[in-house]
Amino acid sequence: MHFRFGGEMILGRLWLLPLFCISVTALADGESHSSAGNLRTINVSANALFLYRNSNLAKEDVSTERNGLDIQEAELAFYADVDPYSRLNILLTVHPEYELNTMTNKVEQTYVVAPEELFAETSQLPSTIIKVGKIKAAMGKHNQLHAHGFPLTDAPLVNSVLLGAEGLSDVGISAAVLLPSKWFSEFTVQYLRGEGDNKEFHSETPGDGVGLAHWKNLWDFSDALTMEAGVSYAAGNNSIGGTASLAGADVTFKWRPAVGGKYHSWILAGEYLRRDLEQPGVAAEVGAGFDVWGQYQFAERWSAIARIDRLRIENSSPTVNAANALPNDTTRKYSVGLTFKATEFSSYRAEFNYADGPPAANGQTVERKMYIQANFVIGPHPAHTY
Amino acid sequence: MLKGLSFLLTILAVVSTDAHAKLKVGTTTEDLEALVKAVGAGEVQTFSVAKGTQDPHQIEAKPSYMVKFRDADLIVSQGLELEAAWLSSLIQGARNSKINSGAKGYLELGPQLDPIEVAKGSVTRAEGDVHPQGNPHFQLDPVRLGRAAVLVGQRLGELDAAHADLFRANAETVQKHLTEKLQDWQKRIDKTGIKEFASYHKTLSYFAVRFGLTNSLQLEPKPGIPPTASHIIEVMDEMKKRKVRVVLIENFFDDSVRGKLEKEIPAVRVIKVPVAVGGEPGITTNEGLIERLVAILEAAAK
Repeated sequence: MHFRFGGEMILGRLWLLPLFCISVTALADGESHSSAGNLRTINVSANALFLYRNSNLAKEDVSTERNGLDIQEAELAFYADVDPYSRLNILLTVHPEYELNTMTNKVEQTYVVAPEELFAETSQLPSTIIKVGKIKAAMGKHNQLHAHGFPLTDAPLVNSVLLGAEGLSDVGISAAVLLPSKWFSEFTVQYLRGEGDNKEFHSETPGDGVGLAHWKNLWDFSDALTMEAGVSYAAGNNSIGGTASLAGADVTFKWRPAVGGKYHSWILAGEYLRRDLEQPGVAAEVGAGFDVWGQYQFAERWSAIARIDRLRIENSSPTVNAANALPNDTTRKYSVGLTFKATEFSSYRAEFNYADGPPAANGQTVERKMYIQANFVIGPHPAHTY
Repeated sequence: MLKGLSFLLTILAVVSTDAHAKLKVGTTTEDLEALVKAVGAGEVQTFSVAKGTQDPHQIEAKPSYMVKFRDADLIVSQGLELEAAWLSSLIQGARNSKINSGAKGYLELGPQLDPIEVAKGSVTRAEGDVHPQGNPHFQLDPVRLGRAAVLVGQRLGELDAAHADLFRANAETVQKHLTEKLQDWQKRIDKTGIKEFASYHKTLSYFAVRFGLTNSLQLEPKPGIPPTASHIIEVMDEMKKRKVRVVLIENFFDDSVRGKLEKEIPAVRVIKVPVAVGGEPGITTNEGLIERLVAILEAAAK
């Protein structure tokens, strides 16, 4: 088995991970035991996603997305107040990656350990949270979610294709200001260095960064019903000598009544994303699309969800952007899922999706995929994000 | 000269207004809001996150509460991990250093009120959604509520020294009144002849202990886990053995087991009960909530 740390293949150093975990756990348990009370040094939690996947396109050893049972992702989170002024968050992920070995024509599995997010934050400035480090960019709503918090097993098409499998995430600095309004209104500006996993912002010029702005608002229509709306924009230089820009908008309605809300609730959400990549000598590549999804909780532990995805790519040029060209086509995807949330700490999901888009390697344009996912959390109560 | 004087007076008026601005106090539950209102007596502005009809373990961290927390001078919580899943998100999102844990603007009451059901030794999630530091539902114990009123009064006084005497006096009045009422409630409960009842969750433990009742049977097999058929059969067997005839279901839980209980146990009374201020229309005070529970027991005994 191969093991990589943050993209660098390191064979035979698998022992580093348990050693690291033991060290941090020891720190976490290292509370001062005095009669006056305990000093909690580090909060530690872990999350594991197990996934069974079956796709008519994925064939064993000739596809980079295998059918069968696998570890989708494990996440280790360490967080604590550093001192009265700052807080440190470390989120490491362990996930498999598949690469086709052209010598053997077999897919080889590699486990990758990487910092999903690693940042220090402070709220010492009035109404502002400052973050420094590797962060998930505030590009829309879905991009800020971790895999275990996705409404469905996979990310919407616009996110996975336009922002990459891991989403837009990079080392940078972020300032999120709570505006002095009666409703929740937060304006976030971020500067990312443009050297993360996202190819669209890999400028050849060192020092070229990415600027991003996000404005999020939330209104309470009643105790039960809220509406959240956000807009985002990011721009930087791309790897082929032009500029790259992203524009997004999202809206979410949530309903959970104050009486009976433990058993019934619904969410209706939609997100639009557009990416423009300038290409020297030819028209800019444009990728744009949306997803709309609805979730209905019909019992204390059960909910059903459906999502529609649409993505269109135009003017992608394999000659100008050979490394990252996309098929110029429209993809439509329809997903349905059923989730059983046993407790706050474990849940199970069955999902089916149908996608119709550009031809795959075997010429088929339709993919039918089934997922069964199990999600487990250990550690403190997972925060109920809204 | 006049312009200068006018400007000075305006500044003084603003400063004066600010100095006498009412404290803004946020509470995690309506029980605590009622307590703060009683102690603050018009000198505080209050709001609560959880409604009395909601399970306080399962509140969503709505960003709109972050806006209220941003402007708050004090946040009062029940603690003992009752709000563990959502309170820290609200406090962080508020970006208000006055209410951070450890600051004077944050008051966690539970640990200061001699909690019951503190875990002995280590516990794991295999035992359900346990609260190792103790049961956080102290709001149904009039004695602990009285002590909580005193703690709230002290903290309000620290934050608003000009009204410290008023807050202290109000808190003592609340405590004294609840203590006086305790004797009346005890007599009325004794008169019902009810010695034991079952409940859905351990929300009524403090109430039971305070009034000499037994509440060891829960419809949940483990905290946070909905009832299973096999567990309900076990509970019914125990109820029959111990002649328990009253089941109180906290009214934010589903009472779909009612039919089975009423069918299997003769003369059983299955009652949905409010366990928080605001849990039913008309319950606006801590005293009113306990009064309602005592009246429910009286009615159940008839």
